[in-house]
Amino acid sequence: MMQFFQFTEEQEMLRKAVREFVEAEVAPKAAAWDESDTCPMELFPIMGELGINGIFVPEEFGGAGMGHTERAICIEEIARHSAGLAIALMTHHLGMAAILDFGTQEQKAKYLPELCAGTKLGGLAVTEPGGGSDFSGQKTKAEFVCGQWVLNGRKCFITNYHADVNVITTVTGQDEKGRNQLTAFIVEKGTPGFNVGRHENKLGLRGSNTGDLNINDVKVGEENVLGKVGAGAKIGMACISEVGRAGMAAICVGILRGCVEEGVKFANERILYGKPIAKLQAIQFEIANIRTDYEASKLLLYSATGKKDAKIPAATDFSLAKYFSSEAAVRSSKRAMDLMGGYGVINEYPVGRFLRDALASIPSGGTSHIQQLIIAGSTLSDFKA
Amino acid sequence: MNIIVCIKPVPDPQYYDKVSIDPATKRITREGIPTIINPVDKNGIEAALQLKKTYGGKVTVITMAPPNAVENLREALAMGADEAVLLSDRAFGGADTLATSYTLAKGIEKIGDYDVIFCGAESADGATAQVASQLGEWLTIPHLWNVFSLEPQDDKALHVKTKVENGSMEWAVKLPCLLGVARELNKPRFISAMGIIKAKNKPIAIWGKVDLAVEDERLGLTGSPTKAGEIFTPDLKRKGEILTGTLEEMVDTVIERLRTAGVNVQATTKACDCCEGGGQK
Amino acid sequence: MTHKIWVFAEQVNGVLDRVTLELLTKAKDLAGKLEGKTEIAAVLLGKNVKGLCDTLADYGAEVIYVGDSAELDLYNPMLYAPVITNLVKEEDPDIFLFGATAIGSELGPTVAAQLKTGVAAHCVELRINENGLLVSSVPSFGGKILGEILVPDNRPQMASVKPGIFVQGEKETREPSIHWLDVTDLKAEGLPLKALRIDKKEPKGVPLEKAEIVFCGGYGIGSKENWAKLETLAARVGGAAACTRPVMDEGWSPGEHVMVGTSGKSIRPKVYIGFGISGATHHICGMKDSGLVINVNRDEHCPVFEVSDIGIVEDLNKVLDQLLMTIQ
Repeated sequence: MMQFFQFTEEQEMLRKAVREFVEAEVAPKAAAWDESDTCPMELFPIMGELGINGIFVPEEFGGAGMGHTERAICIEEIARHSAGLAIALMTHHLGMAAILDFGTQEQKAKYLPELCAGTKLGGLAVTEPGGGSDFSGQKTKAEFVCGQWVLNGRKCFITNYHADVNVITTVTGQDEKGRNQLTAFIVEKGTPGFNVGRHENKLGLRGSNTGDLNINDVKVGEENVLGKVGAGAKIGMACISEVGRAGMAAICVGILRGCVEEGVKFANERILYGKPIAKLQAIQFEIANIRTDYEASKLLLYSATGKKDAKIPAATDFSLAKYFSSEAAVRSSKRAMDLMGGYGVINEYPVGRFLRDALASIPSGGTSHIQQLIIAGSTLSDFKA
Repeated sequence: MNIIVCIKPVPDPQYYDKVSIDPATKRITREGIPTIINPVDKNGIEAALQLKKTYGGKVTVITMAPPNAVENLREALAMGADEAVLLSDRAFGGADTLATSYTLAKGIEKIGDYDVIFCGAESADGATAQVASQLGEWLTIPHLWNVFSLEPQDDKALHVKTKVENGSMEWAVKLPCLLGVARELNKPRFISAMGIIKAKNKPIAIWGKVDLAVEDERLGLTGSPTKAGEIFTPDLKRKGEILTGTLEEMVDTVIERLRTAGVNVQATTKACDCCEGGGQK
Repeated sequence: MTHKIWVFAEQVNGVLDRVTLELLTKAKDLAGKLEGKTEIAAVLLGKNVKGLCDTLADYGAEVIYVGDSAELDLYNPMLYAPVITNLVKEEDPDIFLFGATAIGSELGPTVAAQLKTGVAAHCVELRINENGLLVSSVPSFGGKILGEILVPDNRPQMASVKPGIFVQGEKETREPSIHWLDVTDLKAEGLPLKALRIDKKEPKGVPLEKAEIVFCGGYGIGSKENWAKLETLAARVGGAAACTRPVMDEGWSPGEHVMVGTSGKSIRPKVYIGFGISGATHHICGMKDSGLVINVNRDEHCPVFEVSDIGIVEDLNKVLDQLLMTIQ
């Protein structure tokens, strides 16, 4: 029988619990983090206690043992008030997912408990000055010299570039067709030669740290290889296409809920000609559009996470969710601003920040054009008669 | 140490400005307002969990409420309580603080062994602040209200501070005892994902009148010496005259009104045209 | 039959709480509404408290029951409640009023539970109805709803009232009839609850509840600095500064003793000036009996203006600075 969409009792309870945390610890400070572009690192240990960091990690590695639907719920709730913190968290998850899905038992036991606890921050560094989506075109190299791997290169636009535990993709050789073969490494902060570079001053998603990683003769052992030598492209792709895009879509759903709630609040409170503007049809059209964007994005997101939790491949579903929700967040936050007239551009109201965050969400995890290519590719093959 | 925490599901106080009275039915409408654990009761749960951490034992939460309070009890279990009891029966309905505390006392007697009972000092909705003290009386154990500091001496005695106007009182109390806690006592923990998973398998007992050794005439409306009369919403409206003019003019008007109202205000004399700019006009 | 109206005379360290005198004033008012003979009594417990009897009499106590003992020096519900309960059982008063102070809020319901009678808590109005019953108006939902409470079948009809709700009346010299209670057998020793000490510090400056003008800050003041400005203004005109709960929670104001609202203090100054107040009922209920109410808020649609006599739609920082410049 076809089931209508409904969260479980535990999922609803989780949402309520995370919301309580967010309203107490995130909402009051979100605007300040945005303005000063500071990442509230002090919240990671608290999110650790709440199980948010390790939400999808099994209990044996210090996680909560829940799934990707629960992860999306956490990110959505945080992004409702701070998309900046949400992307820092979602990137933290990316590093953890790479280790969890591709790491050895030793690597999982070594890194995951502290990442779950939030005493250490995780990250995943793929993008280079030459481009992000051209995986095999990357230039950071790793060479095996005298029983050690020596890494050299530069990564850029790296969210959580200040992370303690970094998963880094490098070129380690060529296959028989001459294509670059990638290998992923776990590199800890403080490893000699491994340094943070410039800090990017972003339009949106501020409150997360984005910047360069400079990698100069960084020496790591074989135990730092994640998965097999040559598996780097697969690891990077798997993490970004499912975990990364799920996170970005969840952020956008959070922003969209913000647009709905702030829009409704303003429409009810703002009195023009003696009545709330919510009574005006023109305003109602905007509200209806924002709501529809929110609901559609939510369904796409949670349908994809549901599949992932059921171990059904869902890469295209996450592309659909990410593409639709990020574009929807852009247009809906613009609509919410329109609805608010002059108030929309005043920074005391959060909708301007929503718009900047929504715009900044487009390139993370692949731009809309990249998502369109993925969606088109799968559509052209899946719908062939 | 066995600890019992009394909690009460209340409409979320964030929404109390939306509460109104239905003119037709003369009943309070609280539609759409979510029901939460009375905020200060969570301080009670936190205090219990901290005591348990030091002395071991078990934390049981109890409430007297309609059947859907299971949800709130589940939350308390997710915070870390071990077991929950819901006292629910039509016969309990309409209870004032005396009948409520009686019913809770009977529930607690059925739970049996306890060392400390925590209650929130008051509920957000009714705010009578009476249940804690009256529950202590029914159970004939020492009780204190408005507790903001708590230091166990050992597993038999506590050193407690209570809030009084402009100060505090200090107490030594032997167990078993009941404490009505104030929000300053601690910061209640957030519910964790791990807690939610564990709560799934923790027991919630639901007891009605027949499960308790109660005298019927002490229950619910019958057992309540206070009876409710009319309810109304207070009219707080004033004339709401909005001042116009420059900032200086508005403030001058305010000062003038203060003087009319009988407040002695020393204000600088207004700068006049002739002295402005040193008289060079 | 004589209608007996009792008031619990709350004292700490030999100082009567102001609410006691407010309640005695109200008791006189209620007595006037009852048919037949009435008698107003105060119940006073403590150590060497006889000196307080004159004041109690001056404000309306015709009879004073005094329990004087070293054991009653510090308030302890396990000592105070049984003394009062036994006295009530002997004398059978009709009405018994307590201050809804920290002590009264515990002692009132404790005595009520021992007597199996009802208490109306935190009343904002008391009256006598056509059947001679006490009708208490009690706020709920943060003051949004007022409900009437009656205790028709049990005696005494009990009620508690916060300080500042009722006005203290004029003094009239009166010779009270003092009844000494036998408290010789009282023993704190051996009780499972022991009161160790009480610390009370009277706050500096004009007490909030006595100030003729109150400068009140809501969440909109946004900082400790603005709180200091309110205090400066208050000091210049001999008034007091007050705040709402969120301001206290943020730590901008020094604490609960300056918080106004249903869960804080009730004030009735000649003039109340609010800055950045949202108008939540919880706060408004604590200051609704003020004389002139002025509010400053930059949001012209703010509900606070509906409960103000005068509204100023302006940035509160500007108004504060202008007031500081003008008022010396």
